[in-house]
Amino acid sequence: MHELPVVLDIIRVMDEEAEKNKIKKINKISLVIGELSSIIDESVQMYFEVAAKGHPCEGADLVFEHRPAMLRCQSCGKKFPHTRDFQCPDCGGDSILIKGTGREFYILSFDGQ
Amino acid sequence: MEVIIMKELLEGNEKLAEENRKYFKQRHLLAVNLMGAPGAGKTTLISAIAKELKDIPVGVIEGDISSSIDAENLEKQGLRSSQINTCGECHLDARVIRDGADQIDMHDGIVFIENVGNLICPAEFDLGESVRLLAASVPEGDDKPFKYVPMFSYVDVVALTKCDLKEAVGFDSDNFVKGLRAVSEAPVFEVSLKKNEKAAGIDTLARFLREKYEQM
Ligand SMILES: Nc1nc2c(ncn2[C@@H]2O[C@H](COP(=O)(O)OP(=O)(O)OP(=O)(O)O)[C@@H](O)[C@H]2O)c(=O)[nH]1
Ligand SMILES: [Mg+2]
Ligand SMILES: [Zn+2]
Repeated sequence: MHELPVVLDIIRVMDEEAEKNKIKKINKISLVIGELSSIIDESVQMYFEVAAKGHPCEGADLVFEHRPAMLRCQSCGKKFPHTRDFQCPDCGGDSILIKGTGREFYILSFDGQ
Repeated sequence: MEVIIMKELLEGNEKLAEENRKYFKQRHLLAVNLMGAPGAGKTTLISAIAKELKDIPVGVIEGDISSSIDAENLEKQGLRSSQINTCGECHLDARVIRDGADQIDMHDGIVFIENVGNLICPAEFDLGESVRLLAASVPEGDDKPFKYVPMFSYVDVVALTKCDLKEAVGFDSDNFVKGLRAVSEAPVFEVSLKKNEKAAGIDTLARFLREKYEQM
């Protein structure tokens, strides 16, 4: 729902990076997005196509890498990616969220010339 | 050429939030970011807490998509308030909070920031608050902590509101607490603030906030 400010932020960072690295055209941007950031890829893509016009990153491919929130089983200690029922895949025990996981939200890299 | 940058997004908001945090600290204000679904009972909660904390000045920054009804109602009660209309935005951000804080221009006290009614987006925008309070209401259902992990894992304290409706909606308190404990250590305060009936539970929540204020 707030993908527009996110997209504008991506474009701003890319403008700065293009200038710093003397790059005229950016072809690809890799984003790392944690599961708990509630950002929808399609909306980012849609805003990006419109908002990037006239910037070095116009037409760049957006690559989304998703990171899950991680849970820890309270019975056996196993760590595993968040599931809806919070149940351990090994022993069926209840699990809890590992603090801080799934909140990633950054531009990993870009590709340009 | 591939360039690795690892650049955080929405960093601009983080920076402004830190500035707000300094501003509140300098003025000895306890800023409470109050979040929750539309109609969860946020405004009712602020009003009731202010009545409990008579000796502490209470101000409100009201975030709303388009109206100023909540701010007007709280002003009638004597609270200093400012209104921020987000014009359709789904959350408040750190930039607008500074304007709201300047408008109420308080020194010393508690400032509630009533966020836009939304159980999702506000969990991503630090406003520079020192307490994150979630109003989760009984009619929303006892499974919400399992379903809205980003919000429930973001807050420091939960007010379970409309507890007078537990029977009517068949609310399973154990399941709610189990879900909350899976994602957070936040304490839960159960409150009932039905109109024209005796309030319950608000005194303990108010005491919790008073302690936070005094420890500041
Ligand atoms: N039965 C009952 N009703 C409540 C309680 N608390 C609030 N309400 C009612 O719930 C409705 C919504 O309360 P508000 O305080 O306006 O909720 P809000 O979260 O501020 O709503 P928005 O700002 O519009 O998102 C009102 O009709 C309140 O009277 C409660 O503890 N019990
Ligand atoms: Mg309200
Ligand atoms: Zn296990």
